[in-house]
Amino acid sequence: MKTSRMLGLVMIAPAAIMILLFFLMPVVLTGVFSMTNMTTATGISGGAYQIAPHSLNDLKSAMPEIAEQMSQPRYTIDEVGLKAVEGLGLDPGIATELRAKHMGEVFPSRREVERMIKGLDQRPSTPDVKKISEQFNRSVVNSRFSSKEELFSVLDTLGFTLTDGQKNSVADVTYTGWNWTTENFSRIVSSPDMARVLFNTLLYVALVLVLFNTTYAMLLAIWTHYMPSAPATIFRSIWLLPRITPVVIYVLMWKWLAWDTGFISVLMGKFGYEPKNYMLDNAYNAWVFVVLINGFIGASMGMLVFSSALKAIPKSQFFASEVDGASRWQQIRYIILPQMRWPILFVTCYQTLSLLASFNEILLSTRGGPGKATEVWSLAAYHTALNNYAGNLEYGLGAAMALVLVVIGIVLSLGYLRIFNYGTLVSRPLIED
Amino acid sequence: MRILLDNFSKSFGATKVIENMTLEVGHGEMLALLGPSGCGKSTTLFAICGIHRPTGGRILFGDRDVTDLPSQARNIGVVFQSYALYPHMTVAENIGFPLKVKGMATADIRKEVDRISGLVHIGNLLGRRPAELSGGQQQRVALARALVRKPDVLLLDEPLANLDAKLRLEMRSEIRRIQRETGITAILVTHDQVEAMSMCDRIAIMKEGEIVQIATPAEMYSDPRTAFVAGFLGNPPITFLRGVMANGVFSIPDSEIRVPLPASVAAAEGAKLMLGVRPEHFTPTGDIAVPGKVMFAETQGRENLYDVRLNGGPLLRSIQPVRHDVNIDDAVTWAIDSRNVLVFDDDGRRL
Repeated sequence: MKTSRMLGLVMIAPAAIMILLFFLMPVVLTGVFSMTNMTTATGISGGAYQIAPHSLNDLKSAMPEIAEQMSQPRYTIDEVGLKAVEGLGLDPGIATELRAKHMGEVFPSRREVERMIKGLDQRPSTPDVKKISEQFNRSVVNSRFSSKEELFSVLDTLGFTLTDGQKNSVADVTYTGWNWTTENFSRIVSSPDMARVLFNTLLYVALVLVLFNTTYAMLLAIWTHYMPSAPATIFRSIWLLPRITPVVIYVLMWKWLAWDTGFISVLMGKFGYEPKNYMLDNAYNAWVFVVLINGFIGASMGMLVFSSALKAIPKSQFFASEVDGASRWQQIRYIILPQMRWPILFVTCYQTLSLLASFNEILLSTRGGPGKATEVWSLAAYHTALNNYAGNLEYGLGAAMALVLVVIGIVLSLGYLRIFNYGTLVSRPLIED
Repeated sequence: MRILLDNFSKSFGATKVIENMTLEVGHGEMLALLGPSGCGKSTTLFAICGIHRPTGGRILFGDRDVTDLPSQARNIGVVFQSYALYPHMTVAENIGFPLKVKGMATADIRKEVDRISGLVHIGNLLGRRPAELSGGQQQRVALARALVRKPDVLLLDEPLANLDAKLRLEMRSEIRRIQRETGITAILVTHDQVEAMSMCDRIAIMKEGEIVQIATPAEMYSDPRTAFVAGFLGNPPITFLRGVMANGVFSIPDSEIRVPLPASVAAAEGAKLMLGVRPEHFTPTGDIAVPGKVMFAETQGRENLYDVRLNGGPLLRSIQPVRHDVNIDDAVTWAIDSRNVLVFDDDGRRL
């Protein structure tokens, strides 16, 4: 018994590793990313420290004086500057005197350094004073440091006197890398754009599910049930085509149908209408196409499930209901539909999950447009994290959006498993091992 | 209500199942369609239901031609072999279904369901679902559903086939009782001759899509028209001896067996004949003694059954009151009751 258990573990190990790598890890990483503010700008590895104008703005409220000082240029008499002065081709005595008398001094403003230069024995002309002072301009604005320590030492040499707390605040605002944060979730909750996307998602799932995945699928199943078997098979196969056609080609055919030189435009042209892109012309049209494109794919699964469930109803029940006097409609209403409860529930559950997660048809057809009219949650997450016009991909926010979807999916799945009484399906076998 | 099948034919594609069959069932009569599987008895029943449309001929209920009417318009009650109860409905809903689809008021349905469930003794089960019923109870529900709308005709398709032996016995008399009480015209399809004989006023015995004989059970047993009919009725079944007409008596070549034939039998000298001997007519008390050896013995409690191999090869079956003096391999000399033998020609036609 023990060895058989061991063997079982060994046999299942490859599958378990696969699950770990390709299912669990992405979820865990999504969770990790969602707690950061990673973007294209921050990169996904560590960042540097840069005293950018916007970081000084951020500092202003906490440390107005220091922010002000940092935004102004500082003048330090250092070797680099002296070398540069020597290269200006002025009286060499100037550089020599500066090195001898003022080496290492820091002046908080241009006025003060120029006053010092004017006071030199070798007094330069006024235009030269400007040239010389410019060589010692050591502004920290827009300078970049690869580590905290470098930032602090430069601040020290430039004569800023900062406490440790202040230093850390400066480091925080000037850091260009990513940080841990829960801001993504508060953004999701508070943003009106997100509310709109959520509404779109619910509309999309509800329309496709109710109109096509269940109702239309049921109609197809019942129609084909009452057809002779040969035409029924043909009819079913036709409705499977959207499912088995590669999705890119399938959607491309819809685009050919709808765009301004496509079938609808040509047809409507005969009646004197201007050609236009019927799919993206307005939000209403876009929704019609999105629902149709997904619905035609989704209907086939329900059709198959319902058809097989219909086949499972014994023929004698149909005979019995006929001799009992039931019309075809009454047969559907009282005999078929009540026995379709579980298949309907199953298809509803399954398709809700797959609709929530799927966006490829929308991406290929409307790209969420026009505007953001057909942007659904998963597509929005994709646009946020992986592909958008602005070019600043917000991995953190996108991951947070994906995580919301994952959580919804897990909660729904657990709920469904409960409804379907999954426990009884996997209960311990009566035969002992 | 009288049922008439007039020149009825049914084929599926190229397969002809029934050809030009004519059958009349009298008002209030219960008729059995009896035959082996594949004989067309269920096809006939389904055509009367309206589930199958006839390919030729007419079907009349009373004077009404229902040939082209759908099942819904025929006012029939059917009990299917599998009962075909609706699993998602309670017993009361199952029974009330034919009335519900007619649009009857709920209170009236309730009243009718109570009446009919009293008749078939299931008044205490109305709240249950079919899955919670035993086979016999399901059978009663199916019967109640078939009868609730007072159909012109009751059709029973192998109604007892799915029951165990004891229940079968019970339901046999129950169905007959209910049919008598309601006075309904009924057709029973079965392959079991005991059911047919015990439940029905008349039996129509079918073979390969044709009715071979229609008669009351007693007539059919004592006066079968063919060897097939004789072989189909009776349990344990009849045995046949093959021989020829020689010097006015039935004789088996290469054996001593000679059986004088009833005066009514007219057969030419030398004609090949089949002699049907029912087990109860081969006993120690007959008039034509034949020696043989007991090959098989079976006790059935009240009676014993023996297979006896006659000298010369043929086998005869005997049923006798229980006795303990005869065992397998014993030599016995029992006798055929020559007044009760059934004589058939070589094709199985009764002479």
